[in-house]
Amino acid sequence: MSRLRNVAVVAFAQAPVVARDEHRMATEMLYPQVRRALADCGVERSAIDYQVAGSADYIDGRPFGFVGALEVMGSWPPTQDLHLEMDAAFAAHYAWIRMQAGDCDTALVCGHGKVSEGEPRRILNLELDPYYQAPIGLDPLATAALQASAFMARTGTTDRRLAEIAARNRAAGARNPDVQVRSSASADELARTPWAVEPLRTGYVPPLGESAVALVLAAEGKAERMCDRPAWIHGTDQRIELQTLGARDLSRSPSARLAAERALAMAGATSAADVDLVELSAATPVEELILCEALGIDADRSSPALNPSGGPLVGHPLMMTGLIRLGEAFRQLAGRAGDHAVAGARRAIAHATNGHCLQQNLFWVLGTERRWT
Amino acid sequence: MKRPVAVVGVGQTRHASRRAELSIADLVREAVDRALLDAGLEHRDIDAVVVGKAPDQLEGVMQPEQFLAGALGAHLKPLIRVHTAGSVGASTAIAAMTHVASGLFERVLTVAFEKQSEGNAMWALSPKMPFTAPLVAGAGGFFAPYCRAYIARTGAPLHIGPMIAANARANAARNEYAHLREPMTVEDVTNSPVLWDPIRYLETCPSSDGACALVLASEAQARRGPRRPAWVKSAASYAEAMWVPGRDQVNPLAGRVCAKHVFERAGIRDPWREIQTAEIYVPFSWFEAMWLENLGFCDVGQGWHIVDRGEQRFGAHLPINPSGGVLCTNPIGASGMLRLGEAALQVMGRAGDHQVDGVKNALGHAYGGGAQYFAMWVVSTEH
Amino acid sequence: MAEPPVEPIKYVDALVRLPYHYVAGDCRARYLRALKDKKILGARCSQTGKVFVPPLVNSPESLAPTDELVEIADRGVVTTFCIVNIPVIGRALELPYVVASIALDGADISIHALVQECKPDEVRMGMRVEAVWKPDGEREGSHEDILHFRPTGEPDMPRDAFLNRL
Repeated sequence: MSRLRNVAVVAFAQAPVVARDEHRMATEMLYPQVRRALADCGVERSAIDYQVAGSADYIDGRPFGFVGALEVMGSWPPTQDLHLEMDAAFAAHYAWIRMQAGDCDTALVCGHGKVSEGEPRRILNLELDPYYQAPIGLDPLATAALQASAFMARTGTTDRRLAEIAARNRAAGARNPDVQVRSSASADELARTPWAVEPLRTGYVPPLGESAVALVLAAEGKAERMCDRPAWIHGTDQRIELQTLGARDLSRSPSARLAAERALAMAGATSAADVDLVELSAATPVEELILCEALGIDADRSSPALNPSGGPLVGHPLMMTGLIRLGEAFRQLAGRAGDHAVAGARRAIAHATNGHCLQQNLFWVLGTERRWT
Repeated sequence: MKRPVAVVGVGQTRHASRRAELSIADLVREAVDRALLDAGLEHRDIDAVVVGKAPDQLEGVMQPEQFLAGALGAHLKPLIRVHTAGSVGASTAIAAMTHVASGLFERVLTVAFEKQSEGNAMWALSPKMPFTAPLVAGAGGFFAPYCRAYIARTGAPLHIGPMIAANARANAARNEYAHLREPMTVEDVTNSPVLWDPIRYLETCPSSDGACALVLASEAQARRGPRRPAWVKSAASYAEAMWVPGRDQVNPLAGRVCAKHVFERAGIRDPWREIQTAEIYVPFSWFEAMWLENLGFCDVGQGWHIVDRGEQRFGAHLPINPSGGVLCTNPIGASGMLRLGEAALQVMGRAGDHQVDGVKNALGHAYGGGAQYFAMWVVSTEH
Repeated sequence: MAEPPVEPIKYVDALVRLPYHYVAGDCRARYLRALKDKKILGARCSQTGKVFVPPLVNSPESLAPTDELVEIADRGVVTTFCIVNIPVIGRALELPYVVASIALDGADISIHALVQECKPDEVRMGMRVEAVWKPDGEREGSHEDILHFRPTGEPDMPRDAFLNRL
């Protein structure tokens, strides 16, 4: 692997995830996070070369919904800019690619969207192909349940196991002030919750919630001045696979496996198990297990720490859950993870996903040291 | 840009108000298959796929690139989906170019499309916005006041818009893919009903189904290709906020800054002399005059004179939109990529009947939002 | 068992019905409520003093927060406009009608509104207009409280006064 440019996460600001912010529009939720991220890395907006955001018109309930975010991101004087109709994590990935192309040295990455304004279960049904899958009425809970059934059938994973994973995430979430579900719950309690869609219980799936996030990336030479402990990107890769549910082995994620392989190879890492923590955009315990399998991590072992933030189970704002995983990895490596810190964390993996049943997956490998010297 | 990037393949669909015989995947494949054929490549040669389109409400499918992953040949490849309103096709092509420029991808397929006949386009573009009064139907209602302001500022005579529209149709007659190809006279335009004064029906873009695809490649890969590539000398996409006091909607700063950026990086000091043709985003006729000024082809106030003298017609000094442009073909998501792709075709010498003679440098341009997003590139026979 | 269809299926109709329940945000809500009292509120940038109407939580120009709400006059100047011949979905407006960009006195950005009570071809850039409100007792604190704008009859403003305030 030839030398790439060292790029780091130098700031991350997030609005606490809530079921519904009654006082702010989506862009108004984003504004204070942009200010905070810039303040955290001690720069004016004019010091940032590039801005890129992730959001979705259907979540916003209005075509061109993202255009309003220009008002709160500092788009004056005119700035180089892009917007992706994807989780903001993919916007960060594109910003990283731009830095590798030498087209910018710093980037502001934003995620916004108020899920509470619409009915996301109905909206996300529209993500499915309109000829054969959407008309069946599948929503993301149903497709996740299909995946869960397939996985449990192949591996023999029990309901109890899912309850334990959920309980672990709930316990972690209780230590994270930015999540929506701040109470812990035992595996027993969660195993007694009713079915949401069998085999997923309500205790195993996240509530709907919204937030706004801003993250700053900076290349070597700038990063050091913007953060005392930047989280350096060692490797990253993303892959998509077919959507057609019947054409896939839903119990596995080849796109996650390949993206993880490539990200680790770029990072010069032999095994994902060598990192200190992994933040996965796993909305259900089954997704967590599928992703661990793709990463080659034994989910039963205590290291690496899995979702020390509590993960999406305790806070799942659509269009930015993935960017929050990257932000949480940054917090851990930068020593800013407060009560949910993984002591002595030096390397981390963060993951983002897009589409139903882990159709598309993005991995980052990060560390407190530069990858290339 | 870390390393040179070239366009090695261009493909587009036959654009029409309704391609009823095609599914969304078929539409996309018509452009993709043509682009790959043009480049002499297959799906397995492609390292990443960059997709762009405008609001998903237009087709009634959220993030359709997800269900199209197979049709796009994207299985187990990196893929992103761009959305920057009307400029999206162009900013998508630029994002694809950046992938190659990064050194991480050798050949990238980029596709932009819209199958707006599937949904109700008028509703999709002008739904009832919360907390504000619905005032106008259609984008023309938003832009018409700024066309009026341009006319007031410059004293442009009212025949300029119709001249631009009639000229666009004459150009489209030479483009086998264009949607609206029937010739029309200036009088035809002036006799057509006024939609949003001063914009008339026949100087308004249509609603089209269509797709465009390009293959971008590294220098090493481009040199292996069967044909002369179009080298991307420079490219940028800019955006500006809407509610800035004193913001100029007739001559937006983001457009001026973006044009300056791409011309400087391409080593172009005098665009009027050094660019041989330009494909610019003109959805309503008057924007052709306005953008000539915004892009720096002439001084402020002079854009309409260029039109009046016919200097932007096919065969004249600087042919603008030899393809017929957005006025004749407008699948919203694809339009920006069609501009950049047509500019590439001109440089590659493969624009068929609408080939401009002696093209060395060409500009491709698109804009979107409340004239807030601008994306453009300069392509050249040399790198 | 029924005979299979002879004609292949060509089209699938899908009616998409998605309810949305939007949050106005405190900033916009205050603006709307003030309309009930025939007040138009703008927000002032804490850094530059420029005033935005309807109010924004921050200035897009300076990125600084706005710090106070100020009352804007309900009259101003038409900076530019168009005459519309296409009906708007969900609204019964007589065609043609005028939509104008109006720079209210005291505001630094313009609003868009209907101009009525005159013939469309009488509307001019630079024309002074004033808001026509719903009568007392009928206003609800919504954008419909202002019915439209109408000419005041004052002399037109010189071009320099509004040319860069589109």
